[in-house]
Amino acid sequence: MSAAPTVRLEGVGVTYGEGAAALRALAGVTLDIAAGEVTLLLGPSGSGKTTLLQVMGCLLRPTHGRVQLFGRALDGATPEALAALRLAHVGFVFQHYNLFPTLRAWENVAIALDLKGRTPPAQREEAMALLDRLGLGDRATHFPSELSGGQKQRVAIARALAGTPGLILADEPTAALDSRTGQGVVATLRELATREGCAVVIVSHDPRVEPFADRVLHLEDGRVLDDRRVRRDEAS
Amino acid sequence: MAGTPPRHPLHGTTLLAWRNLTHDRPRFVVTLIGVVFAVLLMGVELGLLVGFARTTSGIVDHSGADLWIVPAGTTNVDIAGRLDERRRFQALAVPGVAAVDPLMMQFGFWKKPDGGNESVALVGVDIASRRGGPWNLVEGRVEDLQQQDAVIIDRLYAAKLGVQRLGDTIEINAKRARVVGFTQGLRTFTQSPYVFMTHRNALAYSNYRPDQTTYLLVTLAPGADAEGVRRAIRERLVTVDVWHTAAFARQAQKYWLITTGAGSALLLSALLGLVVGVVIVGQTLYATTVDRLPEYATLRAIGAPAGYLNRVILKQAGISAALGFGVGTLAVYAVVAITAFGNVAVIMPAWLVLVLALLTVVMCAFGALISIRRLVRIDPTSVFA
Repeated sequence: MSAAPTVRLEGVGVTYGEGAAALRALAGVTLDIAAGEVTLLLGPSGSGKTTLLQVMGCLLRPTHGRVQLFGRALDGATPEALAALRLAHVGFVFQHYNLFPTLRAWENVAIALDLKGRTPPAQREEAMALLDRLGLGDRATHFPSELSGGQKQRVAIARALAGTPGLILADEPTAALDSRTGQGVVATLRELATREGCAVVIVSHDPRVEPFADRVLHLEDGRVLDDRRVRRDEAS
Repeated sequence: MAGTPPRHPLHGTTLLAWRNLTHDRPRFVVTLIGVVFAVLLMGVELGLLVGFARTTSGIVDHSGADLWIVPAGTTNVDIAGRLDERRRFQALAVPGVAAVDPLMMQFGFWKKPDGGNESVALVGVDIASRRGGPWNLVEGRVEDLQQQDAVIIDRLYAAKLGVQRLGDTIEINAKRARVVGFTQGLRTFTQSPYVFMTHRNALAYSNYRPDQTTYLLVTLAPGADAEGVRRAIRERLVTVDVWHTAAFARQAQKYWLITTGAGSALLLSALLGLVVGVVIVGQTLYATTVDRLPEYATLRAIGAPAGYLNRVILKQAGISAALGFGVGTLAVYAVVAITAFGNVAVIMPAWLVLVLALLTVVMCAFGALISIRRLVRIDPTSVFA
C-alpha cells in the first residue's frame, strides 16, 4: 500500500456568499498532491487558484467535499486545530513576502520557530542555518526595508521552511520580482522539493515558472481543466 | 559570517510587542505620556486620600493609648462633648487598666501679633504621660510646655498664625500665650491648626470647668485583654463610648472622608485617572494593532494560535504599563516631596504603590481588550488579498 499523498482533495467545492449573490470559486475539484513534486497552478484571474491554495493550506474550509492533509481528514476541525495543522505541516510564501517590517531577517525566521516551540538559542541557530542555506547569512541582521525583493522573498522562503514542513504553498512568489530574481526564487523552491522531499504548490501567472514544475494544473471557473505532467529535462 | 546576529534577551511575542511599540516612536511616547499622566493622577488623588485620612486621625494614631473613652456619640476626634474627671477614676478601677490620662480638645481663637484672628484647636495633654502629646518636635522641648503660657504649634501653620520663631507671643481666647516649640508635619483636616499645651493650661484657656476634659486615654496593664477591658469600662461608665485606638482612628477617617464627601471626590478623581488611562492606552494600542493587521493575519496564516496574537497585545500593554508606571511613580514621589512642606499632604506608603501598580496593570489590560477583540475576528485568508 502506498503512503498517503501530502494533500488529497475529493470533490472540493467552495462557494462565497449565499442566494443570488453566491459566487462559486471551486467546483468539484479532486486531486492529490504528492511529496517531492512541484505543482504549478495556472489559470486566469478568478479561476480559483488562490482559493484552492487556501483550501490546501487549511486556511479555508470547503463548502463541499473532503480534504486530507498527510492522511488526516480535516472535516469538522476547529479554527485552532487548523492553525495547529498549518503550523506543523505547511509553509507559506506570499506574493508580497509578508515579512514583519520591525524584525530583522533572522528574527522573521525565528518567529516561525518560536511558534513551533523552539528555545531562543535554537531559534537563533536554526534561523541562521536556514538563511545561510538560502545565501542570506550576511544579511541576517538587516531589516526587510534594507533588503532587495529577491532577498526578501528568500527570507520568506526561509521562514516557510522553518521546522521542515511537508508542504510549501507559494502564491505568486515571482510576481513582485524581476525575471532573473524570480527564476532564482523558483529554482530554490524546486531544489527544496527535490532535496527535502516536500510538496511544493505554486500559484503563478508567470510562464517562466513552468520549466521548474513536475506537474501543471490549469484551472478555469473553479474547475481543473487540464492536469498534465511536465518532462522537466525536455522543458528546461 | 558577516551578519551574525547579536544575542538579545527579547524573543517571540516579547520581541514583537517591543518592536511594535518602539517602531512608531511618536505613538509610543504618546502612549507612555498617557499612562504616566493616568498614574500621576491616580497616585496623587489616592495619596491625597491617604494624606487626608492620616490627617483626620493623626492625634489618635500618635496618642500611644490602647483605648479611648469619649463622650457618647462622638464621631471624630476634632469635635466632641465633655467628660467629668470622675470618669477617670471610675475607669482606673476597672481591672486591666494601668493608667488613664485626660486629653482636652476645644476650638479657640488665636489672635496674631498683627491683630488678625485664626481659629485653632487647643490640645491639652498630660505632660507626664505625653499621651496625645505633640510628636515630630523640631524646635523646643515638650517639657517647656509646663510653663504657664507655653504652647507648641506646627511649622506648617506658623505663617498662618503670624509666628516666626520661638518666644513669639500671641493671644488665645484673649489670654497671652508664648510659642515654646515647633512640630513638623502635624496637619489638621479642619484647617484649625493644633495648638499643644498642658491639660492644666488648656483648662485655663478654655471655658471648661477644672473637673472636665474631652477624652480619657487608657493604657492597659501588661497582658490585659483589650476587648474585655473595653467592654468592662463601657458597662461601668455607661454614658460614654469606648473605642480601641485603631477603631477610633478609622471612625474619624470615615467621618471626615465620607460624610463630608471629600473622600468621594478624591476617589472619583482617581477613577477619572483610571478611565483616562484606559482610553489612552486602548486608543493607541488599537491604532497600533490596526496598522499591523496584515502582520497579525500573516502570523495567524502561518499557524499562530489566537493566544499567541493576544500575548503580543498583552505584552505591549504590559510594557506600556511597566514603563508608564515607573515614570509615573517617580512623578508621584516628586509631588509627595513637594507637598511634604505644604498644608495638604500627598502620602505614598508602600502598600499604595502596590495598589497603584495593580491599577496600572488593570488599566492597560482593559486598554488591550479592544485590540484583542479585533484580533479575534482576524481572517488569515486576508494575507492573499
